[in-house]
Amino acid sequence: MRFRFCGDLDCPDWVLAEISTLAKLSSVKMKLLCAQVLKDLLGDGIDYDKVTKLTADAKFESGDIKASVAVLSFIFSSAAKHDVDSESLSSELQQLGLPKEHTTGLCKSYEDKHSALQGKLRETSLRLGRLEAASWRIDYTLSSSELREVNEPIIQLKLQTQGAESGSTETTVVSVSADKFRILLAELKQAQTRMNALQ
Amino acid sequence: MLLVLSEDHKEHLSFLPKVDSAVVGEFGRIALEFLRRGTSPKIYEGAARKLSVPVETVQHGVEGLMFLMTESSKHMISEVDFLDSVLVLGFGEELNQILLQLYLQHHAQIRSILSQLPSNLPAYHNLEWRLDVQLASRPLRQQVVPTMTMRLLLADGADGGRSSRVLQTDPSSLLHLISTLEAALAAMKTSHARRIFRNIK
Repeated sequence: MRFRFCGDLDCPDWVLAEISTLAKLSSVKMKLLCAQVLKDLLGDGIDYDKVTKLTADAKFESGDIKASVAVLSFIFSSAAKHDVDSESLSSELQQLGLPKEHTTGLCKSYEDKHSALQGKLRETSLRLGRLEAASWRIDYTLSSSELREVNEPIIQLKLQTQGAESGSTETTVVSVSADKFRILLAELKQAQTRMNALQ
Repeated sequence: MLLVLSEDHKEHLSFLPKVDSAVVGEFGRIALEFLRRGTSPKIYEGAARKLSVPVETVQHGVEGLMFLMTESSKHMISEVDFLDSVLVLGFGEELNQILLQLYLQHHAQIRSILSQLPSNLPAYHNLEWRLDVQLASRPLRQQVVPTMTMRLLLADGADGGRSSRVLQTDPSSLLHLISTLEAALAAMKTSHARRIFRNIK
């Protein structure tokens, strides 16, 4: 059986198994649990004490709590990844055996946070070597050991990037002469026009 | 199978019957702690002072005990074989029983510690990927070059040290990669592989 929210693949067995665990919660508690899981996916961290309290009346053990958090994270992130609208998600979850009230609550939370989730997933997509900061300084060289009167401007560029392999901040300092810098600026402006044309 | 203990080993363990059983139990606990976390010479010195024997004797006794435990756990020897191997040392019945209890309680743990020792190849942890299309570059405009960039995260060794490799490929190499990996997966389902799995179970 192919499911859109799994990316047109079969639903994993563990998701099927844990949906029946989720059905043990009341639909109100389920909606609150969804809110907690969404908070975690958006990067605000999850409050495990609240989650434990929510699942206490259904008498979840620690394994069940972890499993239900995992299955909700999977459903939300997978649905956002494949850009599934909430009606399709609702019908697919009901096909998998999640009761109607739970599904309605889940899909309502999903719909509210749909674009925020996709924004967060876009941010965490693989990017190698991000530019973090760029600063510059223009100096005027008066003279040097080679030539008594130089009288030329020179620009110092400091680029702070996130290293592609290591992921930590790397600093590169380059000094560019006026002519070279003019060429660099012209080329970058051309690239910028092309980028704007794409948007 | 019986353990064959070398003469040096027997000599080191000969210290054990000279102390009473509470001390042997304590040594056993120390030996296991050392197997878990690594040795600490201070404990040897403390014990040597309390028993008024040279530090070396205590050290040899504990190390001998550690070696006895690891060898027994390594070969998964049964109770009977363990008792027979220890009999050769000529200890009293009580001491043999203490050693046997120590072995039975902890051999599963010792086996799991031993299993982490051989150096592993880095193992797959996660794969992140992105699909890009290069549209233009400084020398050439109006291009269409699709590229797949991947970051392969590997977990290295028992402590889980992470390393990452950044890879890039074009679509045809990617398709080749996918078909090779699928062929590898299909190799598990051949009759030859199934025969071997049946025999291992």
